[in-house]
Amino acid sequence: MNNYKNIGKNLLRVDGKQKVMGKTKYPQDIYMDDMLYGATLRSTEPHAYFKIDISEAEKLDGVVKILTHRDITGENRHGVLFKDHEVLCKEKVRRIGDPIAFVIAESPKKAKEAKKLIKIQYEKISAVFDPKEAMKENAPKIHDDSNIVYHYKCRKGNVEKGFKKCDVIVEREYKTSMVDHAFLQPESGLSYMEEDGTLVICAATQYPHFDQIEIADALGLPKERIKIINPAVGGAFGGREDITMQIHIGLGALLTGRPVKVCYDREESFYAHSKRHPLYMKYKTGADRTGKLIALEAEIIGDTGAYASWAVNVLRKSGVHATGPYEIDNVKIDSYAVYTNNPFCGAMRGFGATQIPVACEQQMDIIAEKLGISPVEIRLRNCFRKNSVTATGQVLVESVPLDKCIRIVSKRLFAESEMVWG
Amino acid sequence: MKKRGKGIAVSFYGTGYGNGFPDVSTATIRLEDEGKISISVGATEVGQGAKTVLSQIGSEVLGIEIEDIVLINEDTSKTPDSGTAAASRQTYNTGNAVKIAMESFRKKLFEESKELLGLNTSIGLETKNKEVYLKMFPQKKTTFKEIAQKLKKQKRRLEATESFTAQTTEMDPETGQGAPYWPYTFNCYGVEVEVDTETGKVDIIRALCAQDVGRAMNPTMIEGQIDGGFAMGAGYALFEDLGLKEGRIKNNKFSKYIIPTALDLPEIEKFIIEDPESTGPFGAKGIGEPVMIPVAPAILNAIYNAVGVRILELPATPEKILQAIKSYGKV
Repeated sequence: MNNYKNIGKNLLRVDGKQKVMGKTKYPQDIYMDDMLYGATLRSTEPHAYFKIDISEAEKLDGVVKILTHRDITGENRHGVLFKDHEVLCKEKVRRIGDPIAFVIAESPKKAKEAKKLIKIQYEKISAVFDPKEAMKENAPKIHDDSNIVYHYKCRKGNVEKGFKKCDVIVEREYKTSMVDHAFLQPESGLSYMEEDGTLVICAATQYPHFDQIEIADALGLPKERIKIINPAVGGAFGGREDITMQIHIGLGALLTGRPVKVCYDREESFYAHSKRHPLYMKYKTGADRTGKLIALEAEIIGDTGAYASWAVNVLRKSGVHATGPYEIDNVKIDSYAVYTNNPFCGAMRGFGATQIPVACEQQMDIIAEKLGISPVEIRLRNCFRKNSVTATGQVLVESVPLDKCIRIVSKRLFAESEMVWG
Repeated sequence: MKKRGKGIAVSFYGTGYGNGFPDVSTATIRLEDEGKISISVGATEVGQGAKTVLSQIGSEVLGIEIEDIVLINEDTSKTPDSGTAAASRQTYNTGNAVKIAMESFRKKLFEESKELLGLNTSIGLETKNKEVYLKMFPQKKTTFKEIAQKLKKQKRRLEATESFTAQTTEMDPETGQGAPYWPYTFNCYGVEVEVDTETGKVDIIRALCAQDVGRAMNPTMIEGQIDGGFAMGAGYALFEDLGLKEGRIKNNKFSKYIIPTALDLPEIEKFIIEDPESTGPFGAKGIGEPVMIPVAPAILNAIYNAVGVRILELPATPEKILQAIKSYGKV
């Protein structure tokens, strides 16, 4: 054994006591003198052109400013990979929940009241909610170009020849659902100007240094003038990678010269951040009579909703992990990320690799049953070990204790007779 | 009637940005006035334990207590860029950056100690309990505090900044061949469920999780991740549904969007599997995401084992299970 002083020890979390005592400050707990409150007006249509009239709302007593796309001092766009989100939509909305205006008022109540006085006139256009439909050439286009954001291809060996050698072939189609991160703390943030002209954005985020760049670009300020304070984060799981309220409050503080705060409620939070990509997975898996996997073909379609966010990286990860942790000589995988008018999808714990085993691990059990061998046997027969080669040709040179994991769990879970069926 | 079934599932997970994209973390180590050591990193604490693990890694190099570390990660004007708190990359990537920066800091600390102790070389110096001492003659020693005071008088700072970049390659666009991620983390989960054949309700009555971690940095926090990941996976498998209709989220509140509570979860038996990764800090790999991945397929396989129905579309709600049992289940 090793002689580490701190590594491997169950030391108490350094931030634990404050959190348990309820003393930790989350963005929502921060207040400043002379603070203003924001409220976001969001689209109620999934796909439409619109006209906005803020004249009535502006007249309401207590309203300080109503931000629309016209007020944006830099680039009206942001996005972790492609800049396909608008900070505030200019003329078109692509999903329910798209931000159109940001009302800034003396109290949260006034901001909400004013929001109701804003008039939006929608001109609906045809929408598409099924990614398979959205892939067709004549489908309504969410952005200017094709709805297919990305196509990953993995080719190894020859699947046609491979399937001919198989004693059993299983074909099934699977679908996973679009789900939410359900973190505890809904989005909240506070922005203010410091005396030297630095704009401070205080918000819970996963990547403060990237937010800094996105905010600077949208506000047309040098990066050095933006400071991100990232206080306690009430859970994230990928849902705080994309910008939500940061640019709105930053612009508000910049233009009013006063601190601006916004707190989303749970309902708004559901619309504000990304979701997990639902995947349509068509699998064909073949093995010989001993249970050795010979060939695998998969087509995976991911619905990224109205914005790309991390869709390229997510569907790439789905594709790379599509075989499961098994050595297979003949592999053909195609994964696609597709725009629709659904809520947008992005990062979420497992990032495209969480959906995959819903298909490929059920395939394994189906094959095993057809061959009369146990789920444990088929996995041990095929699983990655040290120096295994993945479908992308990568050599797993070290630290591959998968068979050990399988053996430990199986031994505890199954009786001897359940492990070996054949 | 209640029927029981068992199921397992395995997964692998490539951590880090991947596909040749520069995956860089930077850390700055500084000797503070009172002899404390600060670690500045842009690594967010999202609840995963980054602050604790990075403090453990840093303090290990100097042989000090984690209480002697001040971890600064809340302010972009005071921290270098350590990448995103995602892709299960902070322990591996920023952990490596902290370790390398601390080793470089230690060299500088020894150089300062050499001067202070009137030695000819820094060879043979070691640190323990916030002291630097000569191993062959331990009476020859100075403290972090003394070094800090000397530097303060001279208006100098002792600090070290280092970066770590993970190794991956970009895949070929036509064949997908390449080394897109590193390291990979592995696991196997097993569950036993009880399915009520009259209501379609699934109870998870047993759960076993074997998780590869490379090297365990803090076993209790790993168990916490497994608990959380299992709960999230169980919700994904059985309950969670936005109720999307033409782009509208029908279930946009927790009274309708059902996530598991402690009552929905069994005691989880955990097995932390160590197989140190030579490129990781002290052998560690990321586990934040992997811990949830095998949950849903293990549950689905157990449902089949119990009642003979394959649920091909998530979530496996009582309605879907009941309908499948009625049409072809083995009851």
